[in-house]
Amino acid sequence: MLIGAIVAGVVFGLYFTLVGLGLNLVFGVMRIVNLAHGDFLMLGGYAAWWLLSAFGIHPLPAAAIVLVVFMLAGLPLYYLVVPRLQRARDSEMLSLILFFGLSQMIEAVTTIVVGTTERSLPGRLLGIGPMIVLGARLPKPWVFSAAVSAVAVLGVYLYLYRTRLGTLTRAVMVSRDEALATGIDIHRVSAIAFGISLGLAGIAGVFAPFMLGSITPNIGVGLNITAFAVIVVGTLGNPLGTVVGGIVYGVSLMLMQTYFSSWANLLPNLLLIAVLLARPQGLYGRRVRLA
Amino acid sequence: MADAADAPLLQAEGIETGYGKVQVLWGAGVDVRARESVVLLGANGAGKTTLLKVLVGLLPSWRGTVRLGGEDVTALRTDRRVRRGLAYMSELGVFAGLTIDENLRIGGQFVERAALRTRIEELYAVFPDLAERKRASAGSLSGGQRKMLGIAKALAAGPRVLVMDEPSAGLSPLFVQQVIGVLGRFRAQGLAMLIAEQNVAFLDLADRVFTLEGGRIRFEGTVAQLHADDALHRAYFGLA
Repeated sequence: MLIGAIVAGVVFGLYFTLVGLGLNLVFGVMRIVNLAHGDFLMLGGYAAWWLLSAFGIHPLPAAAIVLVVFMLAGLPLYYLVVPRLQRARDSEMLSLILFFGLSQMIEAVTTIVVGTTERSLPGRLLGIGPMIVLGARLPKPWVFSAAVSAVAVLGVYLYLYRTRLGTLTRAVMVSRDEALATGIDIHRVSAIAFGISLGLAGIAGVFAPFMLGSITPNIGVGLNITAFAVIVVGTLGNPLGTVVGGIVYGVSLMLMQTYFSSWANLLPNLLLIAVLLARPQGLYGRRVRLA
Repeated sequence: MADAADAPLLQAEGIETGYGKVQVLWGAGVDVRARESVVLLGANGAGKTTLLKVLVGLLPSWRGTVRLGGEDVTALRTDRRVRRGLAYMSELGVFAGLTIDENLRIGGQFVERAALRTRIEELYAVFPDLAERKRASAGSLSGGQRKMLGIAKALAAGPRVLVMDEPSAGLSPLFVQQVIGVLGRFRAQGLAMLIAEQNVAFLDLADRVFTLEGGRIRFEGTVAQLHADDALHRAYFGLA
């Protein structure tokens, strides 16, 4: 049972990595908290449901469509909102308020458009029956979703560490002031990161019905808390730390659900408090020589 | 009529600016000609960093103009000025969380790939300490090594003029001499430089000197003229 919980935890952890990755990318590059992240994820889920029910499009090509559309939507949204926020004196606090408002608006509009009925996607689309992974029996849709998540995380890694623009993105994460002084076009780098973040949220949303069972317009708030726990555990502002946070969160969740199921919902908050008290820089935080 | 070759490569005139409602610069100006090394001397709080920020486009000027190669760049962002041949080494100077090699590649972000590779190899030849640790994090370097990396990073852009903010900050006298030695080599190669400093040791590099006090330029001339001015000599070198 223990091995099964750990393996399932890693599988869920990969998915939760995807849930938190975009949020961490935005925080790392822009030092703002996108509280509407979970709502974009929810929109991704509804987009997958709509693409399947209206056009019969399988979730995998739907994920590609959602990725492109959400990335493109992220660019104008960035230029509309973020540069103004960053000119403000307390941009982090203002970002909380502004994106909370955006979150409420997205949820309200979605409720008006699609109603409050739970929507799900048939699991058979991603495979029928269980799959044996290291002796643990896991539903194929979980493994499929985790595999897509792993590919998306790898894609972000390759972008950040193997491309010129990715190196510039990491430079902005390290020091915005030095990036400006070096002549990096901060807004171009940030807008692309914002688009990627929305794209990642969209993909996570496409697979949300398979991993979470169903979607409703109000799942964004809970997903935000989960995403926040994942990135705080991993390390705020470090996208690769999200992998650590996601796996720790996923394994902890599965262990809780296996041995203390009635307490499992408390996990995000417990992890947040524990990490903030014991290791505020996150599990992936590194030291830098000061002299 | 002024010779075109003597026209300033980088020039700030009548700069007035500040932070919020607090004015820091009151009509300050400075200029650097091609192949010339200029030191902007001033105490802490004199406004050196503020003037440099206006020069490189990190801070808007309320009044005055900045010209680069004769072109008015006052309204241009920093990245546009870097593309036109201006490189800036801030007091921080490097990205501590990135490797030495990545820092250099970022410094040369606007340079064509093959040319950048060649330039970085040339820089490694000048800075062998950095060459030995290409993949090491800049955050693991000592203060002196970071300054060297900061200089190398700025030079990776292949600038027409290099602007530096207190390259001696936080360094021991030994490292200060090393930095001066390295900058001296680039000066000999004809690189135009503007160095904001409070350490008079950098006057060894100066073709001309500006002194900045209370946001105003108090003196402009050669090092010899600076020494000849009793008040300034006392202010910067102590009692004669």
